[in-house]
Amino acid sequence: MVSIGQLFPIGNDTYSLIINVVWFVAFFVIILFFNQRMQIWTYQRNVENATKRLEKLAEKSREDALKTIKQFAPDNTDIRSQVTGFLDFFAIEPVDRDPYGVLNRLEHMIDDRQGRFKDFVARIEPNGSKIDRTKTEGVLEVAMSLNLIFKVVRHYLLLGKKTKSLMIFVQLDMQLPQIMKMAEAYYVAQDTFATGKPMGDGLGALVASKFINGAPTKPIAEDIIYSEIDISGRKAFVLKAEGPDFTVGKPGEAVKRLVEGREGKIARIIMIDAAGKLEGETTGEVVEGVGAAIGDPGPEKYKIEEVATKYNIPVDAIICKMDIDEALTTMKKEVVEASDIIVERIKKMIAERTKEGDTIIIAGIGNTTGVAQ
Amino acid sequence: MSKKRQLRFTMMSIALTMAAIVLFLLATLVDSFSTYGIPMMAAGLVLLVTSWAIYFFGERSAKPAKEEPKETVMTVIGCKNCDMREERAFVQGDYIFKDMGPCKKCSGSSYIKAIYAVPIKKE
Repeated sequence: MVSIGQLFPIGNDTYSLIINVVWFVAFFVIILFFNQRMQIWTYQRNVENATKRLEKLAEKSREDALKTIKQFAPDNTDIRSQVTGFLDFFAIEPVDRDPYGVLNRLEHMIDDRQGRFKDFVARIEPNGSKIDRTKTEGVLEVAMSLNLIFKVVRHYLLLGKKTKSLMIFVQLDMQLPQIMKMAEAYYVAQDTFATGKPMGDGLGALVASKFINGAPTKPIAEDIIYSEIDISGRKAFVLKAEGPDFTVGKPGEAVKRLVEGREGKIARIIMIDAAGKLEGETTGEVVEGVGAAIGDPGPEKYKIEEVATKYNIPVDAIICKMDIDEALTTMKKEVVEASDIIVERIKKMIAERTKEGDTIIIAGIGNTTGVAQ
Repeated sequence: MSKKRQLRFTMMSIALTMAAIVLFLLATLVDSFSTYGIPMMAAGLVLLVTSWAIYFFGERSAKPAKEEPKETVMTVIGCKNCDMREERAFVQGDYIFKDMGPCKKCSGSSYIKAIYAVPIKKE
């Protein structure tokens, strides 16, 4: 009978000795020299597959953006080269080594970027309405984000190949699930933006709209409108971004102006926003807390916190839990149902924590695409 | 990558691994194969390497599957005066609180009450 031991023969004959030596040399060569290389191959394969998918998403997203723009662009205009060039447009964050006034500088930079965006879209879409242009801004944002994600991942893939560094591949591979999830969410979101469907992030705007319910509105800050309504004998200023455009506006500036305009005589500020859920939590779960519920880069949140602190106004936060892809894509049924729960909860909150004759602010935060008022 | 294609590669890889194990067992345990013990084990090794190669390179050659929509978007139309509720597929131009003219039931004012996505159930 032959045994496995024959592959590791222990005998005196020359044949066995040669097999033995060859086997052990091969074993150590593989373990010592090819072990890491094989690991690199495995990780590299994952990263290459992901990069191919990202490249495809970036290309499809650019083509979809061109298709959207073509509807409103004049004939015989070379929009392809203009859009392709604009996809690499960037904004440099302000220096924060000296943090004094960094949020003012950040706001200036964000305004500047937004202004350039609007100018570009107005130039390539002269035939589009205001709402069409805001949708195109969203579509372009997605195309730019996917283009950037693809380029960064490709950069690390090529860097890993160049340096044959296992660590670069391992780090990249570990982050890929999150990166791919985000990229896929952005891609799906592009259709939502282009067609003007309400997105999950628009929950705050939807709740505010349910309070306004067709009442007259006035502009208060950039892309923000507000309405004065009565809730159980309290005067409520309900504000949201002006829908159904694709915009979040400047709710922080609006809250600041409303509070300053009444010399701080505001009993409460109630903020409603969508928030990222943790794994295991349910989409549409409504949770209460305190603080400025707004996910901006900083300036708008700062304005609310500053004015609330100055006049000692309590800030209530109501959030609706959802995943990042649910926030960016078409609103789920659970989120729509949550908006009705939030409306009732706010009414109860007002009855319990304020008294008749008080003035309150209800701020519906989020992108108001597909949600009018 | 299409699931069918992925499954085919996985099955091939598993089949080759099983064949290699059978070869190892035959070479080790069956006396009548004792003469070909070492060649059989070498063949088993080749099968194992091929199995790994199919697993490794198979995915690359596979064509991506056609992406199908996972959800459908519905528009709910309601009335400000009565309990009328109508649900239909989303049409571009729809938005929440859009005025939809007179209500079919009470001639009141109808409007788009909600727009939401629902997952498509697989049959």
